[in-house]
Amino acid sequence: MKQLPFTRLLSLASRQLLRDARAGELRVLFFALLIAVAASTAIGYFSARLNDGMLLRATEFLAADLRLTGSSPSAPEQISTGKQLGLEHAQLVEFSSVVASDAGIQLASIKAADSAYPLRGELKSAAALYDAEQIGTGPQPGEAWAEARLFVALNLKPGDSVEVGAKTLRLTRVLTFLPDEAGDFYSLTPHLLMHLDDLAATGVVQPGSRVRYQELWRGEADALAQYRQGITLAPNQRLEDAKDGNRQVGSALGRAERYLNLASLAAVLLAGVAVALSAARFAARRFDASALLRCLGLSRNQALGLFSLQLALLGITASLIGALLGWLAQLALFNLLQDLLPAQIPPGGLWPALAGMATGLVALAGFALPPLAALGRVPPLRVLRRDLLPVPASSWLVYGAALLALGLIMWRLSLDLQLTFALLGGGLVTALLLGGLLLLGLQSLRRMLAGASLPWRLGLGQLLRHPLAAAGQSLAFGLIILAMALIALLRGELLDTWQDQLPENAPNHFALNILPADKYAFAARLNELSPHPAPLFPVVPGRLVMINGEPVRQIVSKESQGERAIRRDLSLTWAEDLPADNNLIAGNWWTDANTSELPGVSVESELAESLQLKLGDRLSFSVGGLNRDAVVSSLREVDWNNFQPNFYMIFQPGTLQDLPVTYLTSFYLPPQYEKQLVELSRAFPAVTLLQVEALLEQLRSILAQVTLAIEFVLLFVLAAGLAVLFAGLQATLDERIRQGALLRALGAERKLLIKARRAEFGLLGASSGLLAAFGCELISFLLYRFAFDLTWQPHPWLLLLPLIGALLVGTAGVLGTRRALNISPLTVLREG
Amino acid sequence: MSSSILTARNLSKVVPSTEGELTILHDLSLELVSGGSLAIVGSSGSGKSTLLGLLAGLDLPSSGSVVLAGNNLASLDEDQRARVRAEHVGFVFQSFQLLDSLNALENVMLPLELEGHTDARQRARTLLDRVGLGQRLTHYPRQLSGGEQQRVAIARAFAAEPAVLFADEPTGNLDSHTGERISDLLFELNQERGATLVLVTHDERLAHRCQRLIRLEGGHLVDHVEP
Repeated sequence: MKQLPFTRLLSLASRQLLRDARAGELRVLFFALLIAVAASTAIGYFSARLNDGMLLRATEFLAADLRLTGSSPSAPEQISTGKQLGLEHAQLVEFSSVVASDAGIQLASIKAADSAYPLRGELKSAAALYDAEQIGTGPQPGEAWAEARLFVALNLKPGDSVEVGAKTLRLTRVLTFLPDEAGDFYSLTPHLLMHLDDLAATGVVQPGSRVRYQELWRGEADALAQYRQGITLAPNQRLEDAKDGNRQVGSALGRAERYLNLASLAAVLLAGVAVALSAARFAARRFDASALLRCLGLSRNQALGLFSLQLALLGITASLIGALLGWLAQLALFNLLQDLLPAQIPPGGLWPALAGMATGLVALAGFALPPLAALGRVPPLRVLRRDLLPVPASSWLVYGAALLALGLIMWRLSLDLQLTFALLGGGLVTALLLGGLLLLGLQSLRRMLAGASLPWRLGLGQLLRHPLAAAGQSLAFGLIILAMALIALLRGELLDTWQDQLPENAPNHFALNILPADKYAFAARLNELSPHPAPLFPVVPGRLVMINGEPVRQIVSKESQGERAIRRDLSLTWAEDLPADNNLIAGNWWTDANTSELPGVSVESELAESLQLKLGDRLSFSVGGLNRDAVVSSLREVDWNNFQPNFYMIFQPGTLQDLPVTYLTSFYLPPQYEKQLVELSRAFPAVTLLQVEALLEQLRSILAQVTLAIEFVLLFVLAAGLAVLFAGLQATLDERIRQGALLRALGAERKLLIKARRAEFGLLGASSGLLAAFGCELISFLLYRFAFDLTWQPHPWLLLLPLIGALLVGTAGVLGTRRALNISPLTVLREG
Repeated sequence: MSSSILTARNLSKVVPSTEGELTILHDLSLELVSGGSLAIVGSSGSGKSTLLGLLAGLDLPSSGSVVLAGNNLASLDEDQRARVRAEHVGFVFQSFQLLDSLNALENVMLPLELEGHTDARQRARTLLDRVGLGQRLTHYPRQLSGGEQQRVAIARAFAAEPAVLFADEPTGNLDSHTGERISDLLFELNQERGATLVLVTHDERLAHRCQRLIRLEGGHLVDHVEP
């Protein structure tokens, strides 16, 4: 036949497609695609928007979206660049200085901020000590707000004046909450907030003084990214965003993000399976049509082109509708969850919809290619001899392409090569290994079957007749169960991890500056109020000055964790026993046989790494004007997330006792004990009580959102999985309907047909479950090990998967092929 | 005189269509004695297959009744009718209708097993021997020619020793030579086993091998011949 112009082929294809659609031929493939695209779009939007929302919450810990910090003022172009990009800007200068009043002096952490501060989160204050908190903007020029402990230390009340350097400021309010200091409850000095305009007049900030300059930025993600790229950082400067800003939030967010990505990947995998199943059916049902077209003179390529175009048209239509459905679904979801979510949730942009559509199209192309290629090879003789099937192709190549496509989508979605490889590789290896085993198992089943009862023989005969197809189906169902089990498994694991991190009665208060004289009385009072207060830790402020005789400043690089640790006083402590949640990773805890003439010190492992410390190194501290030397005797891992007093340096007992010491502890107090707290602070005026409830609340609310997200994503994956299961069953429906009608005509009762189906699908489900159990363990091992940084343990409950699979697939199988049971036996007469 | 095995009284079948209700079978009655044979002929769309379906209990009439081996089919539900079919009825179809997932022997065993016979295998083997397929017991339908498939179908139809055998265009998909041999086989076995045969066919020659012949046109009985 002469060359068919593309437009003719296109119109032929679209007409054919419409006819097929009218005849109900495309339902399964269309439906599978729709689910695939809708599920990945909805999950994409959900996780993207929720992630943005969570990041937004997390930005409160920075008081900005992005923070530029340095020990010298920022260059003018660093500020003008941000402003040109349309970013909102606030300026902040932080330093330590002495605050003086008539009653005395007190070292304070001072923040001088302009009126725009904070750009994210809220500033809270009270009109008087222990009054109710109010939200509002910061102090005006000439005014200052101070924390309660500064008021107590200097015996002040609101309205009194203090001096900061050369400037006199009126203390107008009690500062109760600084968003960007919420996590920093180890700081020993009280905070004072003043206006930036008064800074010059204090005369405190001189060249060379120890000051932190901060430029705060807020704006669109694109503009922020441009800002990141557009500016050059001086060696003493660095940029922080929400993920760097806070340890607890950072790790929770990181895991949540990975989890949501994983769930999207699972949805994509399921989608791929669904499309593969139905595309194969699409092709099989077109063998006759293809042969006929070839007989009518269409060339192989033209026939192939015609079907490809049909598929493409179908794919684009389904993708568009699916993306719309997915978008609507997540909209409805956010609407439902309105009360639980932050008020401001970014709309999510177009990207998740495009990714969802691309997912559908690439999966369609990847998985429909092999059967489509087969269509082109249908010999025209099939018109006369129906048993002629297309010659087999080098399917490996084509399936390889499909896998590659899938891998690309997964990688693009997660931007995480490890995760993609773990999932795809684990899945593939499992599939190949167990698919082979399954095939062998089915073959040996044939021998055992001879003596089985009729329903079993009918049911299993169906499986054994096409062992390859049965193995494929079992693999497909296995993948579905695997994906669902894996997502459920990880959900439980992540939630447990977070629950451990933030138990209900996590300490929500810190008590600092407990004087030795008050120690026992305070501890006794605390025992009455709080169920499990942490022990009282002695604290001596001291600074690390030398390592092995060399000044620390020459050793440590700027802006490393080590630098931050040494530029301020550390809380030095001593302890008889290793504190709870501390984990010794090198050296020994104190033994009687300490051979060194110097006392030992145990160093936190991350700091040790940053300062390049090893066992036996000699450290010199400046403590209250005196020098104290110690030898590194052990390294400890510390769980900084546990809201207990934690220390970088723990000394051997008896080393620091002669120095002026105060005590530190943390404890849990139920929120309604507010009054007792005020009494406690009045009974021990020198003690500083720090509430971290706000921080805990903030963390809890973020974790609650993450949990919610995870549960909903799980629901989506489950729904997608079940839908795919039914789509897979649909693929074999034609054959079953015919068989059902014939058996009915021959006198078989419904009961027998149901029994046969149960036997068939039960066995299929059990083998799928077995497959899923193996695969799930393998992949979870890889993921825990390499992606989530969790300790892996075997999950015995996975052994239930074969049973669950048998029940699930058995039930779904009987339900999904109901039509084949209820079919009128009369249809056998009509088939002819 | 043998007793009546199949009685139809005033059978009508009405189906809905886009232009209202369509009567495809009009008030048809007939009675068949045990061991007899009846051919139903008529052009396409004359209602032959509809009548066959009603007589065999595959479908229910809109009005009228069918009594098959003493069972009034209208008073039975689908499962009960299935039991009647299992006990009393055999089928031969134009398109053979063998189960692809079962081999020849298993296909023939099927109706025996549905009835719960313990010697199904032996009886199926004997029947396949009888239809000349003793050497192809383990072959699957795909591996058999059309004529061979129809032989398996005939063996299956007679396996449970049905009282009535319904054959719907049994030679329709076969060449004339093979068709001839298949119809010979059908009549031979029918005689041997003493079954009642109800045959739907286009083929006048085949029809005239039956004891009685009815002709349908537009759902009406137009001719009733008892040679």
